[in-house]
Amino acid sequence: MDKPQLLEHLHESVNYTVYDTKWIPLSAKFVVLGSKPNSHGIMDIYELNEDKLEKIKTVEKKAAFKCGSFGAASLRNRHLAIGDFEGRLQVLDLEHPELAVYNVKAHNTIINTIDAIGGTQLECGAPEIVTGSRDGAVRVWDIRQGQAPVVDISPAPQMGDGVNTDTRRDCWAVAFGNTFNNEERIVAAGYDNGDLKLFDLRALAVRWETTLKNGICGLEFDRRDIPMNKMAVTTLEGGLLVYDMRTQHAIKGFSYVEERNAGRSVGTNGVISGPKATVWTVRHVPQNRDIFITGGGTGSIRLWQYEYPDKRVIDDTDGGKMGVAGTLEMLSAATLSTQPVHCYDWHPDKLGLAVCGAFDQGVRVIIATKLNLF
Amino acid sequence: MQDGKKTLLEKYQIPLSHLDFGYIETCQNARELEKIVQILRSGEEGHFPDLTRCAEEKLKELNPNSKLFRFEENIRHSDKALDAQELKPIYDWTESIKTKDNAMAELKEDVCSSTAGLLPMRKPAKIDTEKKEPVKNVTPQQEKPKTTEQRIKSTDYSKWDKYDADVELLRMDLEEERNKEQVERKHRSQEEKAHIKICKDGVDDLRNNLIKKLSPLEREEYAERFRMCGNECFRSRDYDCAIAEYGRAIAYDPPHAARAYNNRAISHMKLKNYVAAIEDCEACLKLEPDNIKARLRLADANYAQGRRRESYDLYQKVLQIEPDNKNALKAIEQLHNQFGELAPAHATRLTIEEHSSPSEKEHVKVNSAPAEPAPKQKQKPESTPKAAPTKDYDLADLVKPNRVVKSKLVSAAEALGKLKGPSAQQPSRELPKEAAMPIIHLPTSAQSKDNNKLLIQEI
Repeated sequence: MDKPQLLEHLHESVNYTVYDTKWIPLSAKFVVLGSKPNSHGIMDIYELNEDKLEKIKTVEKKAAFKCGSFGAASLRNRHLAIGDFEGRLQVLDLEHPELAVYNVKAHNTIINTIDAIGGTQLECGAPEIVTGSRDGAVRVWDIRQGQAPVVDISPAPQMGDGVNTDTRRDCWAVAFGNTFNNEERIVAAGYDNGDLKLFDLRALAVRWETTLKNGICGLEFDRRDIPMNKMAVTTLEGGLLVYDMRTQHAIKGFSYVEERNAGRSVGTNGVISGPKATVWTVRHVPQNRDIFITGGGTGSIRLWQYEYPDKRVIDDTDGGKMGVAGTLEMLSAATLSTQPVHCYDWHPDKLGLAVCGAFDQGVRVIIATKLNLF
Repeated sequence: MQDGKKTLLEKYQIPLSHLDFGYIETCQNARELEKIVQILRSGEEGHFPDLTRCAEEKLKELNPNSKLFRFEENIRHSDKALDAQELKPIYDWTESIKTKDNAMAELKEDVCSSTAGLLPMRKPAKIDTEKKEPVKNVTPQQEKPKTTEQRIKSTDYSKWDKYDADVELLRMDLEEERNKEQVERKHRSQEEKAHIKICKDGVDDLRNNLIKKLSPLEREEYAERFRMCGNECFRSRDYDCAIAEYGRAIAYDPPHAARAYNNRAISHMKLKNYVAAIEDCEACLKLEPDNIKARLRLADANYAQGRRRESYDLYQKVLQIEPDNKNALKAIEQLHNQFGELAPAHATRLTIEEHSSPSEKEHVKVNSAPAEPAPKQKQKPESTPKAAPTKDYDLADLVKPNRVVKSKLVSAAEALGKLKGPSAQQPSRELPKEAAMPIIHLPTSAQSKDNNKLLIQEI
């Protein structure tokens, strides 16, 4: 067997709803963000100690925490950016979490998703945080800039006005990418209606947009700090799409490979059964951009490998260049809960080590073996 | 099934008779076999474990990547799946990362100083999601004036006679395409220009400032990150990117950059950038003189650059460190084959490695009985003249498997040898003199003797 295996290393049950789990860079610690039954926000810091987990710190705040990221934090400071249910974005120093380093009312309602960049990726532009919210706006923040976003990507104002507020789309997923030098930067955003948009922060324009069949839950570039290469997108009804982002055709856009049943359960007997389940999250292995994991609504995690085609670019009939998508292979799958696994984080420094959270109020440390063979 | 649902058998329209060992054995259609496997697995037609296994095996043969071989298991616990030895690296890693973690925690600083050296902030801006792209508006505007110029009056019948609608359509299409291309090209060239400008704009200054701010531990850590990024780029065959990442790793932590240099060298080689690869290998060897990979790469790069003689020496150096390095041995063998044609003089030195195996028997014979020219003459008479003194014997032995053997000079020498016996040493000795490297020549011959001894011992 030279296929990787997914193993549960440690399991911690908590008494609140877990919303996000993140490793603290360059440490054996991770944070768990969640919501207590009284809808207070809670952040626990755990440390990995051989074969047990040790809780180091608990922080409680008024609003429930939804999502967090260390992407904009340098190695020496390691500040966590958190988005909460009331639309507030705070940057916390984990040593002194009582007083936020940066605190701003970023959105009117819940911040669904957050991504950050520029902390440990040196020479790739300024540290920035992007948030996506139920109010339909995507905003980019720089903690040096006071109370206003540096880039505001909101739907046109008239859409939200009047009787029908539903026309504002709910932003479910955001991701940074294409940040290979100090200027270039792209934000990808996925919405509840299946809209997928790429915003170019250098040109301040919409680079590309398309609409998928159903809502976009997860979104990630395979690597943030290179000229965009691939982007994985997961959807509400179990779709998993991987776009080849190297070549943009003038009309057809980016080409992709789609896996329709990524969320459905494959039984131990290999029969696909049950309803279509959401694929909640997608996370690329930091040490290998062609391998990524998806966390599904059936409580399973799956490890995928993307294989490039022989030729990534072909000449289209009208003279333009067109990208060619590769193929997806499922390397491994494991069921770890009866509830959806909705957050997953690979350790940035240790290949194969990960932490994930599920809606069964459990946090698990996962080991993926044999990833070094790929 | 009663409530109107089709069974899989009906759905796939596969006759019941196909669920049979005989049919499955002969079936060559992977699609059909997939369906059969699905029917068997579903248990709708009853449970046949053997038949199912047979069908699965056949399918594996026809389509090993079939989606039907995707299984999902309940997750296992690491205690059961991994033994203590496999878990140990993880525990060790946690220990080492904790010390790093603590060291890093001491470097903590307040926010003001941490943001001081960063890039300037973006100017606040808005992106309107509903905005139409300007490119689309440009093309139709450009087309319109052109069509009006070519307008033919409705009364001008002679011109209308000549008018060919198809040709005009084609022309319009072509023009449209050209316009589109132009716009795109403009767009692209602007982008490219911007990229280049940004890349060149004082990156070095910024980088130096940043590096100055970092502690040694951080530098090491960042360099390691860059190197890992580079490795990762390399793995996905993105060599340009890998070179950039390795370059950063080197810039951030020059004292520990041996591996980064080494890896950058191989990336350069993949891009056929041999001169750069040579430089990197040399830089790596300065830091780690015994790095076998770097030595080998240096030799490879020299060879690819066309500096074959240098590469030969370098391969020899590899062998000094690791005598049974397969790559070096193979390369030397290859080189020596080529040198047979290119430079016969040099070939005497090259033969050493390659020659040892086929001529083992001869070595034994000669060493045990040096004064035995007769049997050798039968095999390859050319070697006899030199065989008398031991030193010369080596030379002769070395020359022999080359194509040089067939050259006229040697055959003449051979003829001479037949005539005059020992006096024929002189013409054959000219070969090493042509090489003009008698000093190097001697040690190599000595080395080859050693090889011979070794071989004898092995036998």
